Amino acid sequence: MRGDVKTRLVVFLGLVPGLALGQAQPTPPTAAPAQGTPPAAKPAPAAATPAAAGTPAAATPPAAPEAAKAPAEKVDAALFDEALQDYFADHKESAARKLYAYIEGSPPTDENHPWAQYFLARCFIDLGLRHAGAVYLAKVARERSNPQVLPRTLEALRTLILVPHDEVLIDEQVFGSLDLGFLPDSVSDYANYEQGLVDLRVGNERWANTHFLKLEEGSVEASRAKFALLVTRLKKLSGKGVPDEMIEDFLALSNDEKLTLEARNEARLAVARLRYERKDFEGALKAYDMVQLPALDPGRATLYLEEAWTRYNIGQLRAAMGLLTTLDAPSFREEFLPDKYILRALVYRDLCHYLPAKRAAKELTRRYAESLDAIREREDLTLDARLRAAASSHGSTKRAAKFRDSLNLEIELKTRYAGGFGDRLFTQVTKLYDLAYAEAERIYRQRLQEAVREEADKLLLAAEQVRLMEYEVGLKLYERIKRGAKVVQPEKQTPIGPGQEAFRFDGEYWNDELRSYRVSIPSRCVEEGAL
Amino acid sequence: MLLVLLLPLAARAQEELENPGVVLAVQDRAFRMNSELMLAIGVVPLDAFYKGLSGEVSYTYHFSDSIAWQIGRFLYSYNISTGLQNQLVRDFGVNPTAFTQTNWIAGSDFMWTPIYGKFAWLNSSVAHFEIYTLLGFSVVNQRVSSDIAAGTTSTTFVPGINFGIGWRFYISKTVSLRFEWSDNVCFSTTGVQNIMVVQLGVAFNFGSTE
Repeated sequence: MRGDVKTRLVVFLGLVPGLALGQAQPTPPTAAPAQGTPPAAKPAPAAATPAAAGTPAAATPPAAPEAAKAPAEKVDAALFDEALQDYFADHKESAARKLYAYIEGSPPTDENHPWAQYFLARCFIDLGLRHAGAVYLAKVARERSNPQVLPRTLEALRTLILVPHDEVLIDEQVFGSLDLGFLPDSVSDYANYEQGLVDLRVGNERWANTHFLKLEEGSVEASRAKFALLVTRLKKLSGKGVPDEMIEDFLALSNDEKLTLEARNEARLAVARLRYERKDFEGALKAYDMVQLPALDPGRATLYLEEAWTRYNIGQLRAAMGLLTTLDAPSFREEFLPDKYILRALVYRDLCHYLPAKRAAKELTRRYAESLDAIREREDLTLDARLRAAASSHGSTKRAAKFRDSLNLEIELKTRYAGGFGDRLFTQVTKLYDLAYAEAERIYRQRLQEAVREEADKLLLAAEQVRLMEYEVGLKLYERIKRGAKVVQPEKQTPIGPGQEAFRFDGEYWNDELRSYRVSIPSRCVEEGAL
Repeated sequence: MLLVLLLPLAARAQEELENPGVVLAVQDRAFRMNSELMLAIGVVPLDAFYKGLSGEVSYTYHFSDSIAWQIGRFLYSYNISTGLQNQLVRDFGVNPTAFTQTNWIAGSDFMWTPIYGKFAWLNSSVAHFEIYTLLGFSVVNQRVSSDIAAGTTSTTFVPGINFGIGWRFYISKTVSLRFEWSDNVCFSTTGVQNIMVVQLGVAFNFGSTE
């Protein structure tokens, strides 16, 4: 029941964008230019009318819709200075309103136009409207009309990719398509890495390598690029057997301190999975043991389940049962793990506890009865809560769901600024968020459709196993015991060592104990032909 | 009647059949003591005529997680008069015949730690503790004011048995806090005395087996 190589590769592939998006080197928010060195403002044109732009819309509510639709008037360059003053005085809403008015009223060729866009983005980000901020930063990065603004803009965008964000807008349209010739060193490695990743995703490893070769040896991006390359090569090897070098390479990455703990753990899991596929179960266990979790972190359900399968395969039935106990913890109660029930049934069956085996197997069909009905009735599977949750819990669907949810929160948040932003800016922000949400929802739905189908396949496969198990256990239950048979010798229990403590489990889960459960369960099997 | 009595047994057997096995969480002990130096402050609160502010230093060697020998401890008591003695003299013209004050106590104890546990702090971290008992002997140095009016004093050594109970809270692998209550039952020529000590100490662990 444990996923075959192909299934597992899907998991690996899912890691790559996750790695790219979730593990960028944390960068502190880029400092705004020093107070004393703001970008120079142009002399004020005589005909400028900044007052209208600077007036809060709340003060003139009846004219608001008309004002929002009216073409922007040319603005006084002093408005930019005022906006900056507001920005540094922490009056972000007022600064945003003035900056937007300045952007609307000045040509893109204006020297301060990109600065205004940059500071407007900073205002949005500081106010919690990260997507709006990202849109304006992306504009600056794409237009590149002022080279001085670009490094700060890219740094700010690098910070934004640490949280749910628009992958197309930032990863593909900005970092994935930047002209790398003039980029500052601080960003060029990251841009090279991203562009290499884009090439890898479309299956062009040679082009990806041209980008990865430009990475500074020993940099964080270089380590991450190695990981991405290994995962891609693994995909190509599907069904051909895994060479030793690949496992060694993953092992080396698992000790690479430049990678985040999460990425190192992914590399360890990769080693464990590859060894498992090669039936090197002991080696796989060593790799699972290498996975380090922060204190009191419950870890990931898949980690425990995979380890449980490994232990089952080398005959450590009680240890496998201990890990299955872990998977019943509240932290994992909502996890979609049909395998868990099958494995538990298998362990009980191997210890000749046939009734519990049958009950464990049936638990799967009981727990997922609604989902199984929905599959059989060919209903829309995205409407099934369990399958939807399972599909949204990992990979690109998870990222799409998170981005959509973050947009939802920001849409609620922006209503607080309706007064402070003024009509023109508020209308623009509303339009921007409406479009973004519609697109995010579309992408989520699209990915969900595919992911939910995969989860349904898993569930059907598990349900099939349940039927087999029930049949097998039914036969065993009514099997006649031959004359002279005797109960097998109980397995020797590992004693509790002097440096160990044992806490009897009474149903209360402690996160620090999740990897320590030990089950003592006697075998009820009989040896035939004895005596 | 017999059937009713057998009902719980039958239920247990059924439970065994349905959910066989016992689950234990077996963990490596997070904190283990080896050589321990403790510095403590406390009070000697029992005597009505004075209260002692005490400072103690002790060294303990741990043979295992549950058995240890507090090889030596030395407690010095700084005594503060409660004013009762002056009040007796001033208001009632009464003098105690022999007035004793504890100067210091030295001793050695056997330490048994039967309880090691952990608790959750605000559901966000886990802290470990243990509860131990002490049993040993003490030598108490006392100042005896035999004639208060004349100001005549002498010092005596009194043997005694010390027993107590304590709670150790682990801060790290090398530092722990000890909150301890102990009682020295001293056998002097005038009779049995109880010298109770309540103290809070910082214990430093050296050479841990971790």
